[in-house]
Amino acid sequence: MNRVFVTGMGVISSIGSNVEENRTSLLSAKTGIGKASFMQSRYVEQFPFGEVPYSSEHLLNSGGMKLEKGMTRTDILATLAFQEACTDASLTTAQIAAYDTAFMSASTVGGMSMTDELYKDGNHLGPPSEYLSSYICGAHTLKLVKRYGMKGLSSTINTACSSSANAIMMGSKLIQSGRAKRAIVGGAEGLAKFTVNGFNALRILSANPCTPFDENRTGLTLGEGAAYLVLEDETSVGDKTVYGEISGYGNSNDAFHPSSISDEAIGIIASIKEAIRTAGLSPTQIDYINAHGTGTVNNDYSELYGISQIFDTIPAYQSTKSYTGHTLAAAGVIEAIFSLLSIQYGELYQSLNCPNPIEKFDAAPILSYRNQLNIQHVLSNSFGFGGNCSSLVLSKV
Amino acid sequence: MYIRKMFCISPQPTYGNELFEQGAEEHTESQFWAKEPKYKSMVPLNLLRRMSKSVRMGVGTGLPLINEFEDIEGIIIGSANGSIKKSIRFLNQIVEYNEGTLTPTDFVQSTSNSIAGTLALMGKITGYNNTHVNNGIAFEAALLDAILLFEAGKAKRLLIGGVEEISQANYNIDKLRGMFKEEAVRSTELLASKTKGTVSGEGAALFVVDAQVSSSSIAEIIDVDQICYPTKEEIVEKIHHFLEKNQLEASAIDSLFLGYNGDIRTDFYYNWVSEKLFGKEVSIYAYKNLVGDYYTVSSFAMWMAAHLIDGQTLPKETIVRQGQRPVKNVLIYNHYEGTQHGLILLRSC
Repeated sequence: MNRVFVTGMGVISSIGSNVEENRTSLLSAKTGIGKASFMQSRYVEQFPFGEVPYSSEHLLNSGGMKLEKGMTRTDILATLAFQEACTDASLTTAQIAAYDTAFMSASTVGGMSMTDELYKDGNHLGPPSEYLSSYICGAHTLKLVKRYGMKGLSSTINTACSSSANAIMMGSKLIQSGRAKRAIVGGAEGLAKFTVNGFNALRILSANPCTPFDENRTGLTLGEGAAYLVLEDETSVGDKTVYGEISGYGNSNDAFHPSSISDEAIGIIASIKEAIRTAGLSPTQIDYINAHGTGTVNNDYSELYGISQIFDTIPAYQSTKSYTGHTLAAAGVIEAIFSLLSIQYGELYQSLNCPNPIEKFDAAPILSYRNQLNIQHVLSNSFGFGGNCSSLVLSKV
Repeated sequence: MYIRKMFCISPQPTYGNELFEQGAEEHTESQFWAKEPKYKSMVPLNLLRRMSKSVRMGVGTGLPLINEFEDIEGIIIGSANGSIKKSIRFLNQIVEYNEGTLTPTDFVQSTSNSIAGTLALMGKITGYNNTHVNNGIAFEAALLDAILLFEAGKAKRLLIGGVEEISQANYNIDKLRGMFKEEAVRSTELLASKTKGTVSGEGAALFVVDAQVSSSSIAEIIDVDQICYPTKEEIVEKIHHFLEKNQLEASAIDSLFLGYNGDIRTDFYYNWVSEKLFGKEVSIYAYKNLVGDYYTVSSFAMWMAAHLIDGQTLPKETIVRQGQRPVKNVLIYNHYEGTQHGLILLRSC
């Protein structure tokens, strides 16, 4: 079985337009959550968001996409992060297009981020917009495939909030099996009226910035962003910088409820155990957990309960969603990048907004910045509606 | 991997395999709607009412399989649009009520993974669960996912499938961009229409697949592959490599399932591939004249191909060219709008 190395990273989120800016924000404990300026929704007045702080027009220009029609916010964010990841891994255009380069992406809202345009086109109101081919979930993937002339295997995964963790997993399996030498994996999610209203209808949006793992947490904060990793097999790595290795993964279904996780954390426990087992590790070897930690009453309790059932002593853990907000399909890969930064720089970032850690478990998230650590193995969790639970183990090489 | 059992809901009488006794039904509508079974014996009415059509069709085809095979370890679904009608209904409410108070049911079901999620919930299947939504090759990706799990020894038996539903909004949008025919066309004349566009269809085909062959195996799924935006030369090269990788010459293929949809702009790929790679003796079957075109229609083609391998005589409407060779190696070649091309290779076992 081939090993899977990370040789490129690209990310855009509310805390930065590239990997370096994201790390700078993490180092200075600076959140990206605040009042949204660009999303059009009445809920902008009521809830904070983790919005990428630029207009879509500005982002189009910055990515050299100025004259392109039909680019949704999801498409734009995806393209920017994809570009950074490929450049970071020094992939040539021929390598990106090659038959043995796979592309596994993820989104939940896709082009439905253009909620009002979709309403008009779908109901035949007025002349057709430029977004007719852009609404579908997989549109951003197909556009990138076309832009880069990619001939390899491609897919788009939608397992709600665990989508990009599954994209990473799928790309890793393709490399391990020898079906691909390289895989570009990740996901993209534009903030949208559609999603905001959905989560509001579920009554799980927090009026204040989310407070993951706090006793008094009141819900999640939606964010947006995109991120991609370049994964390569051993023969392709050469003398490139290797940020880490995808050493384990687990996927399970909680099979409990369409939109909440069981108190017994059935799916969570199964996915974490499988991830650690496939990495060939024991739980004591995990140095840090980047938790799903949405800030909802349900998720954070179940997740911490699940973790407590696997780890005799709960390792250093936190949710970085207090920085970025919950970026849904992009969350798994954004958090994988934060995990890889912790491995690369031997540092753990301060958790935000957790003054009163959940009382039932004797374990507070990381409270302050720590460095000069030897972080060998990180567990990263992503759980979603439909009972989808996924965990990754990322390791130092 | 090996197909053990399957169910299909489609615009044809496929749920009880009546299609093979009665022949294909003619459609004259611009949308070919699925003929759904009575779900009442399977699902409590209050639950059924809340389900989207794609979840309903997924449950209708998947639940009997889950009930029969208690050792299904995971579920992988391909569905580009998922419960798109629920999504659009929720979206319409957002706009029409100016972001007023909405009920969350439609939103929760709106993500494509609600089909695999509901099946996992109803069958208490806590193993691997994934949903691929990559437009015209979403089902092919689901197959690939299953192959990878079996190859790695992570499962012995899985439930996989492709599901798609028509929504009026998406029909409108796809029509605006020229996907569908302007003129009315009978299903029996679709393939010979020689005009732009096709007709819209929907359906669900779910399969229990095993890592190991058994005396009850229906057909072997040897491999799956895909390519996007190929030139005519690249698609031929791709199919050639795909067969070669699986130790097959093109001459070993006796039956082809080709995704002809009556769109004069893109049907040429099928003629080109069959002329360039395959001899005159190969049997050629069509399927979109029975069920219309949709993103995961290759799951319907695989259901048909498995029946052919299992010894069924396919309805005469599907026969483009009848060869005389016994059925052994079957290739399904399907593309969506000429952009995403999928290949599925089956053989008898």
